[in-house]
Amino acid sequence: MSNVGHYGSSTSTSLMSSALSSLAEPEPKLVDGIALDYLLIELVQTLRQSTLVATSKLRAREKEMVDAGLIPPTPPIPPSKKESKGKGPEDDEEEEALRIRLESIGATVGGNVAERLSKDRARFQDTLDTIKFVCKEVWAAVWDKQVDNLRTNHRGVYVLQDNAFRPLLRVSSASGSADALSKARIYLAFSSGVIRGALARLGLYAVVVPETTTLPQCTFQVKLPKAFNHFTTPA
Amino acid sequence: MTSKQYKSIGDDLWKSRTEKINAELFTLTYGALVVQLIQDYEDYAEVNKQLEKMGYNIGTRLIEDFLARSSLGRCSDFKEVGEVVAKVGFKTFLNITPVVVHIPPSSSAPGQPPSGATFTLTLEENPLAEFVELPDEALEGGLWFSNVLCGVLRGALEMVQMQVEATFVSDVLRGDDTTEIRVKLIKYLEEEVPVGDD
Repeated sequence: MSNVGHYGSSTSTSLMSSALSSLAEPEPKLVDGIALDYLLIELVQTLRQSTLVATSKLRAREKEMVDAGLIPPTPPIPPSKKESKGKGPEDDEEEEALRIRLESIGATVGGNVAERLSKDRARFQDTLDTIKFVCKEVWAAVWDKQVDNLRTNHRGVYVLQDNAFRPLLRVSSASGSADALSKARIYLAFSSGVIRGALARLGLYAVVVPETTTLPQCTFQVKLPKAFNHFTTPA
Repeated sequence: MTSKQYKSIGDDLWKSRTEKINAELFTLTYGALVVQLIQDYEDYAEVNKQLEKMGYNIGTRLIEDFLARSSLGRCSDFKEVGEVVAKVGFKTFLNITPVVVHIPPSSSAPGQPPSGATFTLTLEENPLAEFVELPDEALEGGLWFSNVLCGVLRGALEMVQMQVEATFVSDVLRGDDTTEIRVKLIKYLEEEVPVGDD
């Protein structure tokens, strides 16, 4: 084999047969995108149910402890906090619990996707590089397209905008677009979890806030904590 | 149609599908969901039930997508249902082709619908359970990790007028040799005389 002595030569690739390379990097297994779409849709409903069960169990336990005198009773919620629509704070609690669950599932997925994709890549140069990676590669892996617009204030806040966000493409409601909008928000929780998880796995601990005003467009505001910079004097 | 023809239909449908995604995404999402459900319900039997229910809802929608894409006609008997499910259905959505074994219905009184027709699907690979390991508690508690598949089968087949019972018989995650789902026909949901009766 005449190539053996040539380190770093472009001919070294001929040493690798296709069989070897397929062992090293097996073809990723694929499934139909629609299976994941359906799973995500039903996931929200299923988790909503389980959240109800979990929170009512929690409340029952709390009540037991209060009755047994182990903890003081929770103070009554002042009426000013109640939603004007008539939803009690309990519904908000459940909605919040559901959102947290969806986000954490998203974070698991995002973290692992980011890990897989960045395996062979060079180290990221800076924050912007990492965010761009998320915008292009992670977005493409999860939602089959890239982010449409990325804006930043150069002070740790980035806004990622997608004009045709896949999870929102086929959301509609019989009661009109305002209703569809409010119901669609919860589906964004999973997606913001994906972003947060991906960034966290790559070393950036951010807060991600999704926002949508017109379906299927949406934005994700990513707030990064101020990095401690040795060279600036504290304000 | 022969088994081979169904297989090639399934392969074609899969190839023509443009939206292919990495199975890991699917596996990760499903896995995280099961973990969350276990935490919430703290009861494995209940989790099985919820997974099946979720699958049922998915199945009722999936079947429409499937029928629109495959434009296959009505199956003439339950045996054909099994072939289509295994070779076309699973292939189109999950890119796997479980092995299908038909079990003829037990002898029934003449004039009675042939209830009890069964087929088993043996999944050689399961995208839902890739890299998954169940802890001892889950094994003892009787968790069927991929129970959503049973629900999908039940929901989808109900939409095409068949009431079936789909249950897991064995699962490699539980230490068994194979992953097998048994699908038993309970009855046809139409008033007309079910096909296959003589």
